[in-house]
Amino acid sequence: MNLRTILIVSALLPLLQAIPAAFNESMADVTPPRNDACLACHSRQDIVIAFQNNESVSGHVDADKLKTSAHGELACSACHLEFSADQHPKRNFRSREQFKVRASLVCRRCHSDEQLKARPVHVELLERQKTGVPAICADCHGAHSVIRVTRKKSLNDDAKGCLSCHRRPVLIPFQKGEAQSFVVDPALLEASVHNKLACSDCHYGFSREEHPKRRFRTRRDMTISSAESCRRCHFDKYSKFQDSIHYTRLSQGDLKAPVCTDCHGYHSIAAMAKERIVSANRCRKCHAAIYDIYAKSVHGNALVNEFNQDVPVCVDCHTTHDIQSPHSVEYRERVPQMCSVCHANKEMMGKYGLSTDVMKTYLSDFHGVTLGFYIKQKNLLPSQAKGIAVCTDCHGTHNITSTVSPDANTVKANLVQRCRKCHADATDSFPDAWISHYKPSLKRAPLLFIITILYKIFTPIIIIGLVLQILLHIWRYAVSR
Amino acid sequence: MTNTADEQPTTRIRRFGLYRIAEHWLHAAVFCLLVVTGLAQKYHTYDISQWVVLRMGGIDAARLLHRVAGFLLILLFAQHIAVAVFGIVKRRWQVSMLIQVKDYQDVITNLKYYFGLKNHPAACDRYDYKQKFDYWGVLLSNAVMIATGVVLMFPIGTTKFLYGEIVPAANVIHTNQSLLIILVIAVWHIYNSIFSPEIFPFDTTILTGFISKERMLREHPLELERRERAERKAIKAASRVKSG
Repeated sequence: MNLRTILIVSALLPLLQAIPAAFNESMADVTPPRNDACLACHSRQDIVIAFQNNESVSGHVDADKLKTSAHGELACSACHLEFSADQHPKRNFRSREQFKVRASLVCRRCHSDEQLKARPVHVELLERQKTGVPAICADCHGAHSVIRVTRKKSLNDDAKGCLSCHRRPVLIPFQKGEAQSFVVDPALLEASVHNKLACSDCHYGFSREEHPKRRFRTRRDMTISSAESCRRCHFDKYSKFQDSIHYTRLSQGDLKAPVCTDCHGYHSIAAMAKERIVSANRCRKCHAAIYDIYAKSVHGNALVNEFNQDVPVCVDCHTTHDIQSPHSVEYRERVPQMCSVCHANKEMMGKYGLSTDVMKTYLSDFHGVTLGFYIKQKNLLPSQAKGIAVCTDCHGTHNITSTVSPDANTVKANLVQRCRKCHADATDSFPDAWISHYKPSLKRAPLLFIITILYKIFTPIIIIGLVLQILLHIWRYAVSR
Repeated sequence: MTNTADEQPTTRIRRFGLYRIAEHWLHAAVFCLLVVTGLAQKYHTYDISQWVVLRMGGIDAARLLHRVAGFLLILLFAQHIAVAVFGIVKRRWQVSMLIQVKDYQDVITNLKYYFGLKNHPAACDRYDYKQKFDYWGVLLSNAVMIATGVVLMFPIGTTKFLYGEIVPAANVIHTNQSLLIILVIAVWHIYNSIFSPEIFPFDTTILTGFISKERMLREHPLELERRERAERKAIKAASRVKSG
């Protein structure tokens, strides 16, 4: 114990630093927890490490937490390599950020990339590091209280600390406008799909020890910034989102463009909605006018008034995370495919007495053939800027009506208007050139049906007759030789 | 078989002039182009069709090519009719292609011959019934294909004057008639001018314009007889002029 006292004294008093280094080092190897010397100073609350840019970080270390942490067995110098009871080199970091980056390098001395990659979140962080975004271990794991991030953690354990304040309304001030009060309902949190996560899994940088002060311009800024947390685990969805029209709008500065939490919610985040209307209502929040049109369509009406779960909602055509602009040529080209998901499904169409020939007849008709070739030749030939009529050009998009409803006459009357969008001088009888999606029969298009039948009968008769004559000719030639 | 050696200085007889040779070549070329570009559209789901269309520079280019070829066919068709009318009316050509009662009789005679009921096939004039079938098949087919093709090329123009149903009807006729005529040409015409054992390996008449006297005697004896009669008359007349 005497020796320890000497060590403490030597740490406290620079005057005693003349004690031979070799002596100290040999002692360090023998006694396992040699942290008392460091803690003699660093257990103090007022110890502060200052950086060149006037930022600072607390130098306080909670001895109890350190002991119970995952690194409880380690000596201070196991991480703080150049520091020991008699060596306390002066460091001069530019900023808090630089300090953290350097500190994270220490962790990586023991925790190899291979070990880290066992967790998907690390893979993404390591990938980002290659692009110059540093991965700060302590942001998630803490520093001296280093914790294992395990799945076993329950909401109650971890959130207890946060909820002790946040279950009551907490005022969050914004640079612009009033402060707004936020409250986290533990019941909602418990019911969410994330109920096994800790608060700090999403609110990284926050922990019982650390509660950095952040100052957002507006509430919207905070929402957009918070949604960045999602990608740490849902990186696949995030990268899809980056291809979407919503992300494009956001990156162009349109702050109204939705981020993850706008559709999925945050503390109450639920699994994918089972009721389709829930999904449609999410889009409705911003696209109300289109929703109203959709709600009157044959699809929307069935959804809203009949609670039909077969009909398409917004995301069935527009997709979810990688929503594309519906005005692009690529989107147009996919339309027949989208419609055919249901309209070529015999089982589903059978329920409503609808024909599944629609796709086949479209593809074998002029427009369908052209579209098919345009798609195939897209990568091989110079691009075809021309749009070709797809399902929605005749049937409409959000306002699709039934073609067998009492409104069918309107459908027919509107058809020529649709034709004229591309064929400006189309006459009133031009739509009759389209025999709709049905195969010719005696009832529908009898003229075509009869012509087809005649050719089907006479073509084989003529050809078989000619072949028989040829065979007779050859036979006779062979016989008379 | 021959009358005198003097009257038969050559065994070749001129059957077609340069004009008919050129007309046949042009028609064959346009027909092939129409078949390739047309079938690639008719059977558009097949790999070979898609290969053909892409080689041509896409569906729009293939359609353009088909229409240009169609326009050439219209020109060929129109000049053929014009020349025929002019020849018959002004030049007093024999209407040797006209289908006559004798052609039906020839069919029956030949069928009897094939079955061994007769010892000789039908004796034919300048064009036998097989050739007439070929000719009228192609001529009428061309008329049908041109009419329906124009409707398909100008669907909006058509519906200004006619019912809308004409357009899909034209489509059905165009596509079915094309298949019929392609099969007729591929089976009947190709057999009769290439694979028939009597002319194999190739009937060169339409390429050179000449036919052998031996084939003439076998296939067109009536024409040969008429020609020789005319020649004899001419020789007699010439000698009468000489002696007179």
